[in-house]
Amino acid sequence: MRTRTHRTLVRRALVAALALACVATGCGAGTGRAGGRDGRIVYAVDTQPDCLDPQISPYDVTAALGRGVFDSLVAMDARGRVRPWLATSWQISGDGRAYTFHLRDGVRFHDGTAFDATAVKATLDHTVAPETKSQYAAGLISMYENATVVDARTVRIRLSRPYTPLLQVLSTATFGIQSPTALRANRGRTCLKPVGSGPFVFAGWTRNRRIDLDRNPDYAWGPPDAANRGPAHVAGVTVEFIPEAASRFGALSSGQVDLASAVPPSHVGRLRQAHGFRLMRATQPGAPYTLMLNINRAPLDDPRVRRALQRSVRFDALVKALYSGAYERSWSALTPATGDYARATEGGWPYDPEEAARLLDAAGWTGRDDAGYRTRKGVRLTVHWPYMNSLMRDQRALLGQGIQAEAKRAGIELRFTALEPGAYLQKAGGRDADILAFSWNRAEPDILRTFFDSAQTGDKGGVNAFGVADPQLDGWLREASATRDPARRAALYAKAQTRVNDQAYALPVYAPATLLGVADRVRGVTFDVQAYPRFHDARLED
Amino acid sequence: MPPLRWFARRLLLAALVVFGAANAVFFAFRLLPGDPVRSVLGNTNPTPELVARVRHDLALDEPLAVQYGRFMRGLITGDLGESFQLQQPVGEVIGGQLWPTVQLAVAALLLALLVSVTLAVLTAHRPKVRRIASSLELVAVSTPAFWTGLLLLALLSFRLRWFPAMGGSGAAAVVLPAVTLAAGLVGAFTQVLREELERALEQPFVLTARARGGGETAIRLRHALRHGLIPLITLSGWAVGALFGGAVVVETVFSRQGLGQVTAAAVAGRDLPVVTGVVLVSAVAFALINLAVDVLYRLVDPRIDERSIG
Repeated sequence: MRTRTHRTLVRRALVAALALACVATGCGAGTGRAGGRDGRIVYAVDTQPDCLDPQISPYDVTAALGRGVFDSLVAMDARGRVRPWLATSWQISGDGRAYTFHLRDGVRFHDGTAFDATAVKATLDHTVAPETKSQYAAGLISMYENATVVDARTVRIRLSRPYTPLLQVLSTATFGIQSPTALRANRGRTCLKPVGSGPFVFAGWTRNRRIDLDRNPDYAWGPPDAANRGPAHVAGVTVEFIPEAASRFGALSSGQVDLASAVPPSHVGRLRQAHGFRLMRATQPGAPYTLMLNINRAPLDDPRVRRALQRSVRFDALVKALYSGAYERSWSALTPATGDYARATEGGWPYDPEEAARLLDAAGWTGRDDAGYRTRKGVRLTVHWPYMNSLMRDQRALLGQGIQAEAKRAGIELRFTALEPGAYLQKAGGRDADILAFSWNRAEPDILRTFFDSAQTGDKGGVNAFGVADPQLDGWLREASATRDPARRAALYAKAQTRVNDQAYALPVYAPATLLGVADRVRGVTFDVQAYPRFHDARLED
Repeated sequence: MPPLRWFARRLLLAALVVFGAANAVFFAFRLLPGDPVRSVLGNTNPTPELVARVRHDLALDEPLAVQYGRFMRGLITGDLGESFQLQQPVGEVIGGQLWPTVQLAVAALLLALLVSVTLAVLTAHRPKVRRIASSLELVAVSTPAFWTGLLLLALLSFRLRWFPAMGGSGAAAVVLPAVTLAAGLVGAFTQVLREELERALEQPFVLTARARGGGETAIRLRHALRHGLIPLITLSGWAVGALFGGAVVVETVFSRQGLGQVTAAAVAGRDLPVVTGVVLVSAVAFALINLAVDVLYRLVDPRIDERSIG
């Protein structure tokens, strides 16, 4: 009874307050409906880019939005084949160190500048120039020596060493070709004024609110796998920043936006059943969410302890419980969406508590303390895993706690601690941790080299966080990045993936997937090979 | 003390507060653990060359005294420099986000005052309603803004579609965020007001007014409310802090532009120029509001000497 009066009162108070607020501010019309948006797609994303210059910013969101603004020299189709785009053809020298590209005629940048060899050279030189302070792209082309303008339609790129993945690198939005005029004019301001030749023109950025992309009416050079090679069907894309997942999902389900990125896995079922909406899903290529293990300090310097940890966690059950099928558990250091993924790794290191116990006994961790943890010479078996809250998307903090609980059952104490950014980066950079975890989106098995080659430690721009130095692995990964024989590459990468699991250098957990909520009135949105949405073929049906 | 001298002294004090706040930011920034350059670069693996380059470009490789001197020069000349991360002058970054936050704060404050006055006038010396109102106030105060905001969104935006879920300039877009932010203030305001009202209603002048046959509500509004306003003015300083703190959460839930989001990002990325700018703006606002409150006091009640004010 009493609660009921309360509730009525709450409602009344709320209505009264709202009415007052309306009087005070003059309530306008309600929400914009699709029809009133002038044929523009409204796309809600979870993160705002730090910078829109694809050669500076390391973030996925910059590459994803940049894909509409910039074209690349070559395109990669869904089957991972390199196809012509701004370059109509190319030759690779016998030693694999010179790439000559023949360029398309008649392409114009958004500022009217004609696309030619100068633009390619300007973009690559901009990437490696120290004053650009590139945080990702420059590292991808560390072997770049120079580019020569042979003539207006021909450019030659020279490398310090052969690098087979170069074409894949050049196909990404990270290497979208920028207008040389704009690069010169906006020096030091390229983050705020991206000028490319793509199907969408950057029209404005209202910080913390939205980015506007308008249709490029002159577009006539779409990539070969696009259904539509001409101008986009929609008048533009309005990218709204809605960081809070519940707000983003609600905005989609109430028709205030047409698409929403990063649908929480817990909402995927609801979206699949909802009338008038669908889920678009694409597994991301590259490295899965991976626990890198510190093989250079106790206790994980002992491979038996690493394997014990590997076999003590029910990854299947954890991933299923947390992500309800939206993401798949991983068996390999590459995701299934990556070229040369080794299917043979699947099921190769199943949950096996007896084996884990046997391994720990063999390693001398035979004692038990009051809390049930294993000890050796009176010392508890403790593993430190620091993390930074701002990086824990996809409920990774919860996942970490799950892994912690599993490890505890095996007698391993996992200290999973949140740190503020400064402290985290200090620990991570100084290798003052036993586990660090991250994922990496890249449509190229060469990502394995970034993770496990001894020359790819953090201070060299790689993500070999704990300095794995395995001559066998180095040899395979370096040969694979230089050979042009696809069969040989596949064999080498298969060996490398098996080796990482056998030595338990790292524990792959799950393959992230792009989860896009889409209203049925939107048609023709596709994913590129990096699982970024493309709007160039999209239509709005009202 | 003559009013003009008093005023000059207060202004000087306010300037000192602002100056102190700026210094606190400068030194706190250097005492935090970790390398600020690594934080500025975010979660990437920068090469040592890149770290060195950024350190040099941000002038963080100079002796502390030189850095401090430059920082002071910037303060005095009003040049806050350029953001470490956004390729934009700090003035531009803050200028573009100040108005939405001010709009939100003012709307929330007015709404909170309106609701509190109504509640206090209706419930003072009426035990039954008072009990219900008190529990409501308690609920409003103890519900996290984050939750209030999502509930409002779920009901009034997603379901009824009366208000937009995001955006931030139209009048309609400010309603739900303002209600969310005001909910946290109403409780405190109402309790203070009601207590003062109840004290005032026991004064002889109210009895006289009743004897003359005024209506109860009219008496409450005309006579008693004036007395209740003084402690409310005192609370406004606290309210400004509460509003700014709440703005960070509210702006995130409602995807609004504003200083809250800028501050959160700048603190995480150790963007010293932006953080300094935000602190300066808040310190100036705080000092000015306190000054205005004191001036109001002296106008409302000339007997008040500023020494008796905390």
